[in-house]
Amino acid sequence: MATLSLKDVRKSYGSVQVLHGIDIELEDGGFLVLLGPSGCGKSTLLNIIAGLDETSSGDIVIGGRSVSNLPPKDRNIAMVFQSYALYPTMSVERNIGFGLEMRGTSVDRRREAVARAADMLQVTHLLDRKPANLSGGQRQRVAMGRAIVRDPDLFLFDEPLSNLDAKLRVEMRTEIKRLHERLGTSIVYVTHDQIEAMTLATKVAVMKGGYIQQLADPRTIYERPANMFVAGFIGSPAMNFLRGRLGRGKSGWQFMAKDICLNLGRSKEKLEEQEVILGVRPEEFKVVHHDIAAAFHGKIDVVEPTGPDTMLTSLIGGQSVIARVGPRFAGRYGDDVSFTVDPTSVNLFDPQTKLRITW
Amino acid sequence: MHLSKREFLAASAVLALAAGLRSANAATAINYWHHFASQSEMAGLAKIIQLFAAANPDISVTQESIPNSEYMAKVSSAVVAGGRPDTGMVIAERFADLTAMGALVDISEHVNTWQGKANLPDNRWTGMSNEGAIYAVPAYAFVDWMYYRKDYFDEAGISAPPKTFDEFLSVCRKLTDPSKNRYAFGMRGGAGGFKYVIDVMEAFGSPLVKDGQAAIDKPAAIEAITFYADLFRKEKVAPPSTPNDSYRQIMEGFRTGQTAMIWHHTGSLIEISAALKPGEQFATAPMPAGPKAHIARVAYAGNGIFKEDNVEAAWKWISFWGETDAAIALLEATGYFPASTAALKDQRITGNPIYAAATQTLEFGRLPNSFVGAAGWSENVVNPTFQAVLTGQLTPEQAVDRMIEGLEAALR
Amino acid sequence: MRRVSMTSNSRRHPFSSLGEISETRYWVYLLLLPSLLLLFLVVAYPTIYGFVISVREMRLTRPGLNGWVGMKHYISMMSDRVFWISLKNTAIWVAAAVMIEMTLGFIAAVALNRNLPGTRLFGVLILLPYFLPNVVAGHMWALLLDPRLGVINDILVRLGFLSSYKAWFADPNTALAATILVEAWHGFPFFALLFLAGLKGIPEDLYKAAAVDGAGSFTKFKLITVPMLKTVITAAVILRVISLVNSPDLLLVLTGGGPGNSTQVLSLYAFQTAYRDFNFGYAGALSVVMFFILMVFATIYIRLSRITKE
Repeated sequence: MATLSLKDVRKSYGSVQVLHGIDIELEDGGFLVLLGPSGCGKSTLLNIIAGLDETSSGDIVIGGRSVSNLPPKDRNIAMVFQSYALYPTMSVERNIGFGLEMRGTSVDRRREAVARAADMLQVTHLLDRKPANLSGGQRQRVAMGRAIVRDPDLFLFDEPLSNLDAKLRVEMRTEIKRLHERLGTSIVYVTHDQIEAMTLATKVAVMKGGYIQQLADPRTIYERPANMFVAGFIGSPAMNFLRGRLGRGKSGWQFMAKDICLNLGRSKEKLEEQEVILGVRPEEFKVVHHDIAAAFHGKIDVVEPTGPDTMLTSLIGGQSVIARVGPRFAGRYGDDVSFTVDPTSVNLFDPQTKLRITW
Repeated sequence: MHLSKREFLAASAVLALAAGLRSANAATAINYWHHFASQSEMAGLAKIIQLFAAANPDISVTQESIPNSEYMAKVSSAVVAGGRPDTGMVIAERFADLTAMGALVDISEHVNTWQGKANLPDNRWTGMSNEGAIYAVPAYAFVDWMYYRKDYFDEAGISAPPKTFDEFLSVCRKLTDPSKNRYAFGMRGGAGGFKYVIDVMEAFGSPLVKDGQAAIDKPAAIEAITFYADLFRKEKVAPPSTPNDSYRQIMEGFRTGQTAMIWHHTGSLIEISAALKPGEQFATAPMPAGPKAHIARVAYAGNGIFKEDNVEAAWKWISFWGETDAAIALLEATGYFPASTAALKDQRITGNPIYAAATQTLEFGRLPNSFVGAAGWSENVVNPTFQAVLTGQLTPEQAVDRMIEGLEAALR
Repeated sequence: MRRVSMTSNSRRHPFSSLGEISETRYWVYLLLLPSLLLLFLVVAYPTIYGFVISVREMRLTRPGLNGWVGMKHYISMMSDRVFWISLKNTAIWVAAAVMIEMTLGFIAAVALNRNLPGTRLFGVLILLPYFLPNVVAGHMWALLLDPRLGVINDILVRLGFLSSYKAWFADPNTALAATILVEAWHGFPFFALLFLAGLKGIPEDLYKAAAVDGAGSFTKFKLITVPMLKTVITAAVILRVISLVNSPDLLLVLTGGGPGNSTQVLSLYAFQTAYRDFNFGYAGALSVVMFFILMVFATIYIRLSRITKE
C-alpha cells in the first residue's frame, strides 16, 4: 500500500509528444481511473507507471520512493492486462505464482500465497488447468490472482474488462470494487468506459490528447465538469449543450435563447453578459404541464422508452435536447412539451474557451 | 449481329479446329530431343533445321533441348510413362542402355536402301548397331585428344607433346609449380571422370567386359589406378581441386592457365580457341599411349527414331544429319568432327593443323565401351570409387575390388 | 425446396433431380468427390506405385528380368555399403542444416520483428536466398567456393585463414560441411519467414506481464517465445526435414555425391540408381525406406513436441 505521485511526466516518440506534463497525486488506498478516448495517452501513462515504457522527463514516486529509473520488477507493482496475458504453457497455479517464483519465494510460501489468492478469487478448482481451458471470466480472475498474490504497493489495470461480455463485465466490476475494499491497495485503472470510472474510482483523471482535462472525484467530474469535453464525455446520453445568452433578469442572472428562459438566480461571482453554452444533464429535465412555470418550450421529436426511463428527444427553438423522463411518459411525436430544470444543477460554458464558467 | 459469349466461343473453337486440320494436312510435325546447349551448338542445330526445312517443306521439326545430365532421365521417364519424342540424339556411350530399354526403333531397312550410307564406313555403324540391327544414323564424332599449352611447353624447353604415359609423367613433373599455382594436368576427378579412369585401365591392359562377363584384370587395373591416381596423390601434378573437378572446372583450369594439359575431345575446341590462341598458346596432340595399349575414343553420335508414329518423316530428319550439307553446317558452327567421310575431306578439316591430331586418332581410336549398364556403373561406381582413391579413403586395391564387384552387379 | 419440386413437376427440368439432391446432406459428399478423386490420383496412386515397384525388379535396361522379387531389394540394401553411407550422411546433412538454419532463421526473425528503420528492406534482402532455385544457388556457390576463381577463397586467403585456395568440395573432410553451409544459407530464410510470422502472433502483453513479474530476457525467451512458437517450430522443422531429405538437387550440383560418396545422401542415391542405373526397383525401395524414415521421424517429433507442451 502506498501513495503514487506523478510529477510533470512527459513522453514523446520522436517529435510526437504523447504526454504533456502529467501531474497526479493519489492517496494511499486510492483508486485512480485514467479515463479517455483511445489515443488519449492513458495506456502510455500506465505503461510508464509500470516501467514498461520510459518517461522522457518527469518523476514517478511510489510510496515515497522514486521509481523512474527502476525496471518494472523492482517497482513492486502488479499489473492486469486487457488480454489477461496468462502464460499459455503454464498451469493456473504457476501463472499466479510466477511473480513469486521469479522473486525466489520458497515453494511452500508460494503455494500458500497462491492458495489464498485463488480462494479470494474463487479459482481454487481451476489451479491445475491451462489458460486455454478457461472461460474469459475465469481468465480474468486468474490474471487478477496473479496480481494480488504478490501483495504489491500498487495495482495497475489496463482495460481489464473490455474483453468480457456485458453481463460478466458488471460482475467483474463489482468483484474489483470488492477486492479494492478488502485489500485497500492503491489502484491505477485505465478504461474508456465511463461507468467503470464512475463506479470504481475515488479519483478520475479524464485525459485527451496527452493532457489531463480534469482530475477530481467522480461526483465532481459528473456534476461540475471542467470543460465541455469532460462534460460531453461523461454521461450517457451525453449532456445537452444549448446555445444562448447570459443576461441580467429581475431576480438575478438568466439564460436566454429561443423558447428558453431559465432563471439562474444570483451569483457570488463576477459575471458578464455574454454568449454562453448551457449544459444540462438529460435527467435534470422535468416535464411540466403548466406552461407558465416552465423554462423550456418545445415539440417532441422522438420518444424512446428503455424500460426504467424514457428518452425524449425534443426540439426547443431549433436545438435538439434529450431528456430522461419517467417510464410512463405519454407524449407523442409533434406534441408540445415544456420542461423545468433545477438551476443549481446546470453548468455554463464559455463558447470560445469551452471552459466551465464558475458562477 | 450480336454474338452471345457462348456462340462466340463455339465459333472460335470450330475455326481453331479447322485451322489445326489444315496445318496437319500441310505438314507432318515431328519433335526432336537433343542435349545441345551451348550457343554454337544451338546455332548449328538451327542451321540444320533450316536446311532440312528447305529440302522438306512438308515436315516441320520442333527441337527440344535437354541438359545432358538429365537426358537419360527424361528419356527413360518417357519410355516408362509415355511421351516419347519422334526422334532424339543418341551418343555411343548411351546406345546400349537406350536399345536395352527399347527406346529406339530398328531402322535397318531404311539404312540399307539409303544412298547416303556409302559415305559412312562400317565402323561408324558399329556403335549404332545391336545384334545386326541398326538403330541410329551417325552424324558427328567426338574424337579424344589432348590439349596442351604450347607456350608452357616452349618455356619449359619441351619440344613435343608426350607420346607415352612415361613421357607424360616426366613432362607433368616439369610443368608443375604449385607456388605459381600451375599444375601440369587438369585431371577430371568429378562427374564424368570415369571415362579416363577406364581409358587408363585399358591402356594398362585390363579389359572391362568380355562376352557379357566382367573381365577386369585385377593386377593391371590396380597398376592403372595407382598410376593415374598418383598423378594427384603422389606426384601432385594435378590441382588440389581434382576430386571434384568435372568438365566445367577442367576447362576453367586450362583456360585460366592453371593447368598445362587436359584430356578431352574435339567438342571443346571452339570453346578453348575462344580463350587461347590456337598454335601459339595451345595445341592439340593424340592421347599418350599406355604401356599395353594406345587408348583414345572415337565416339560417334547420331540420331535415332524413338517412336513409330511418324516414322517416314522421322527417318528423313535423322538421315539428313548424315548428309554432307548438314555435317558441314554443324562443323562450321561447332567444330564437331563429321561422321561422313565426304565431309571429312572438307578443306576446313584437312587444311587446319589443329585437326591433324584428330585425323591421326581416327586411325587407332576405339569406340567407347558399350554394354548394358555401362553408364550406371561408370557414374555410380567408377567415379566415386576413384574419387575415394584420390582423397585417400580407399587404396587402389580396394577400389578395383569395388569396381569389379559393381561391374558384376551391373551385368547380373 | 418447395419451389424446386414445383418446377420439376411442371416442366421436368433435366437438372431437377440434381436440384433435389442438392438439398440433402449427401450433397456435401458429392461436391467433395471430384477433389477426393483428384487427391487419390495425384497423391495416393503414385505413392502406392512407389511401394509396388520396390518389390519388383524393374530395370529399364533389362526388361527381361522384370517381375516380383518380394523383399530382395530391401535385403540387398542391408549389405549395400553406399546405402549405409548415404543414410549416415543424410542424418548429418539434415540435422546440421536444420539446426543452423533454425538458429540463423530465429536470429533473423527476432531482428526483423523489432520494426527498426530499414527492417522492411532488410526483410526482403534476407529472403533473397530462398527465392533462388536450388540449382541456381548451387551453381552460384560452386563459383563462390571455386578453387581457382572463388571469392570466398580469396577473402579467406587475404584474411590469413588459409594459405592457399582450398578446394572445399574436393576434400572428403570438408565437402559435406561446405554443402551444409550452402544449404543453410539457402534455407534459413524459410525459418526466418515462419518464425517472423510466429513472433508477430505473440501478444506484446505477455512480455509486459513477464517483465512486471520479474522475468529476464532468457526466461522470457524460454517461457514465452519458445512455447508460443512451438507449433510453428514443429511445423517448420518437419517441412524442412522432409524437403531436405527429399531434394538431392543442391548436392547434385555441388558434388554429385562425391568425392568418393562422402556427400552421398539417400535422395541422391535413389535418383542416381533410377536414372543412371535405370534400376527403378531398387530406387523405389530406397524411396520407400526414406518414406518410412520420414514418417517415423514426423510421428516421433510431433509426439515429443506435444508431450512437452502438456
